[in-house]
Amino acid sequence: MFVVWLGTIVTLLVTINPNLFGTVQADVGQQRLLNGIITFILFFTVLFANFAEAVAEGRGKAQADALRSTRSDTIARKMLPDQSIQEVNSTELRRGDQVKVIAGDMIPADGEVIQGIGSVDESAITGESAPVLKQPGTDIASSVTGGTRLLSDELIVRISADPGQGFIDRMISLVEGAERTKTPNEIALTVLLAVLTQVFLIVVATTPSLSGYIADFLDNVLGSAAGNSLRAGTSIAILISLLVALIPTTIGGLLSAIGIAGMDRVAQFNVIATSGRAVEACGDVNTLVLDKTGTITLGNRLADEFIPVNGHDLQEVANAGWIASVFDETPEGRSIVRLAEKLGAKFDLNGQPAEGIEFSARTRMSGTDLDGKEYRKGAVDAIKGFVRSRGGQVPLTLDQAYERVSRLGGTPLAVCQGPDIYGVIYLKDMVKPGLRERFDQLRRMGVKTIMLTGDNRITASVIAKEAGVDDFIAEATPEDKIDVIRSEQAQGKLVAMTGDGTNDAPALAQANVGLAMNSGTQAAKEAANMVDLDSDPTKLIDLVTIGKQLLITRGALTTFSVANDIAKYFAIIPTIFAAAGIGALNIMGLKSAQSAIVSALIYNALIIPVLIPLALRGVQFRPLTADQLLQRNILIYGLGGIIAPFIAIKAIDLILPLS
Amino acid sequence: MKLPLLNLSFPSLQTTTQALEEVLAIGSEWRRQKLPLYLFLALCLNLVIAPVVYATSNNEFSRSQAWALGLLGLGTAAISVYLFFVMFIPEKF
Repeated sequence: MFVVWLGTIVTLLVTINPNLFGTVQADVGQQRLLNGIITFILFFTVLFANFAEAVAEGRGKAQADALRSTRSDTIARKMLPDQSIQEVNSTELRRGDQVKVIAGDMIPADGEVIQGIGSVDESAITGESAPVLKQPGTDIASSVTGGTRLLSDELIVRISADPGQGFIDRMISLVEGAERTKTPNEIALTVLLAVLTQVFLIVVATTPSLSGYIADFLDNVLGSAAGNSLRAGTSIAILISLLVALIPTTIGGLLSAIGIAGMDRVAQFNVIATSGRAVEACGDVNTLVLDKTGTITLGNRLADEFIPVNGHDLQEVANAGWIASVFDETPEGRSIVRLAEKLGAKFDLNGQPAEGIEFSARTRMSGTDLDGKEYRKGAVDAIKGFVRSRGGQVPLTLDQAYERVSRLGGTPLAVCQGPDIYGVIYLKDMVKPGLRERFDQLRRMGVKTIMLTGDNRITASVIAKEAGVDDFIAEATPEDKIDVIRSEQAQGKLVAMTGDGTNDAPALAQANVGLAMNSGTQAAKEAANMVDLDSDPTKLIDLVTIGKQLLITRGALTTFSVANDIAKYFAIIPTIFAAAGIGALNIMGLKSAQSAIVSALIYNALIIPVLIPLALRGVQFRPLTADQLLQRNILIYGLGGIIAPFIAIKAIDLILPLS
Repeated sequence: MKLPLLNLSFPSLQTTTQALEEVLAIGSEWRRQKLPLYLFLALCLNLVIAPVVYATSNNEFSRSQAWALGLLGLGTAAISVYLFFVMFIPEKF
C-alpha cells in the first residue's frame, strides 16, 4: 500500500500540472481530468486498505474496552515485613509483594494464593457466574487474576505481575494491536509481495523506453504520427495505474486485517494468546498431546454396572452398593446410588443407627456402618484386605470381574458387607460426546492426537479406542509429556498441549502451542503461550481450527488477489499497446485505454471493502487434507478470482461515460 | 572636528546561543526524523542528475521537466532499494 500511496502523490502532481514530467500529446484539459480520476481512485484504494485494518482494530479495541472494564484501580492491603497492613493503590504493587484480600474485595493484581481458602467470582473475565474455590499449594486453583472479586473468607496473595504486565493488560495490548508483530507466514507473504512489486516496478520503469522504441519504429514504418497513441499511453499517471494494477494490492490491503481478525476470534473464545505467532502456530500444528481425564473424558467417573460375585444376585449387589454409598457425596458415590435406585434398591434407614465412613488414601475405601454391619466399597485390593481381616474368603470370580472391568476401560470397585464380598461396581469415565468426530476431523487435516494417562495400559487402550485418538501413553508421568513433545518435534512436527500444574510448565514451554488453564498455577500460565480463561482443555481443538482457518483465509485471499491481476493485465495492457498490434488481446472489448484503466482501478479499489467481511469472518472451515484444501482454493478463489474481475471490469466499463 | 560615532550592531550573546540551540535541536531532530533529511539529500543529488537528464533529452524536456524527471527517477530507485530491504530483512517492516 506504500507504493500505492506514493503513486497517489505523483498522480496528484500530474493532475495539477499535466506537463510536469514531459509535454503531453493529448489535450491538457482531458489529460488533467484523467489524471484527477486516477488520483481519486488511488486515494480511495489506500483509504479502503486502511479502513480494512481500522475495522479489524476497531473490533479489537471494543474487546479491549470490555477487558479494560474488568480492570480498575483498587485499594490493596499490602502486607509489610512486620506483618502490618498498609493501604496502597493497586498500581503501586510490584511483583513479590504480598496483599491481604478480604471477602468482597477486588483482587488487586495477578498473583498466587499463599494462605487462606476462599471462593472467587471470576465472571468478569470468564463470563462464568459460578464462584471458583482458590487455595494455596495446589496445582490447580492457586492462582488469582486481577479484577476478579473474592466472595468469601480471606486470602493472602503473592503478586506475580508488575502493573501493566498482568494477563488482562497483555490481552488488551494484543487485541489493540499495540504489541502486534508479524508472524512467520505474514513475513513470508510480505517477501512475496515485495518481490512481485520489485519485478513490476522494473517492468513499469522500463516500459517508456520500450514503448518509445516501438513508437519510433511505427513512425518510421507507418508515418510520422503512427506512434503517438503509444506515447500518450505511457504517461506517468497511466504507468502508475499499470503498476498499481500489476501488484497484488488486494492482499496487501487485507493482510493485517486478516491477522488481527484471527487474534479477535481467539479472544472471543475467551483465550488469551501471548502473540499472533501462537495463534498462527495453532494452524500449523501436527500433533496434539492431550490428557485423558478432563480433556478426553468428562473427568467424573460414573457407575455403569453392578457385577455380582460370590453367589449373590444383582439386587443384593445394588442394595449393598446403595448402603455403602449413601453417605458418599462424591460424583462417583452419587452415581452408584442413582444406578442402584434405578435397579430398585431402596433401604429405609429410619430408626437404624447408621454412620458414614469417609474415603481415605490410607484405607482406599469408604462405606457405611449400619446397625452393626460394615458395608464397604473401594479399590479391589483394599476390599480384599478388609474381607480377609474380617475372616472372609476372596472368591475367584472377583478377579474375573476385576479383569473384565479393566478391559472395558473402567475402574473396578469391590463391594462387601463384613467378610462377605457382594460384587464389583464398574465405574466408567465417560468420553466427552462428539470427540470422536472432532478427532476424525483432525485426522483428515493431518493432525495426530496422542492421549496421556496415569491409568493402566488396558484402561488407556480402551479409552483411546473409544475416543478415536491415534496413540496413547499409559501410566504416564509428567516427565513423559515433555519426552513425547521432544520426540515429535525431533521429527519436524509442531506440537500443541494443554496443562495446568507446575509440573506441566516445562512441557508447556517446550510445546509450540501451550494452552494453560486459568485455574492452573502461575508457573503453568507463564510457561504457556495461551491461557484459557474458561479452563476447558478441549478448547485446544477449537484453537487448532481457528489457526487453520486463519491460514486458509490468508491463502484463499492471496490466491484471489493474484488471480485478479490476470484480468487487470488483460484490461490495461492491450488497450495501451493497441498501436503495437496487440489490440486483439482486448478480449473484454473495453471502449478505450482511458476507460479500461479507470475500470480496472475502480475494481481494484472496490474489491478491498467487498472482501473485508470475508477477511474478518474467515473463509468457511472444512476439515480437509492439505491437497484437498489446495484444490478447493484454486477452484473457488483461483478460478473465481480470474472470472469475477473480467465480469466486473466489463460492467464498470459499460457504466463509465468515458470514451 | 567631531568624528561621527560608529553605530555598529553585533548580535547579542543571547541571540547567538538561541541560534546555536536551534541548530542543535534541528540536528537532534534529524536523528529521529529521517524523512526530511532524505528529501533534502535527494534534492541535493537531483542538482547533479537533473542537468544530466536535460543534456541527454536533446531539448525534448524543459529544465523544470528534467528536474521533475530526475526526482521521479530518484524516487523510483529509492523504492527499489526499499523493496530490496523488505525482501532481505522483512521482520523489520
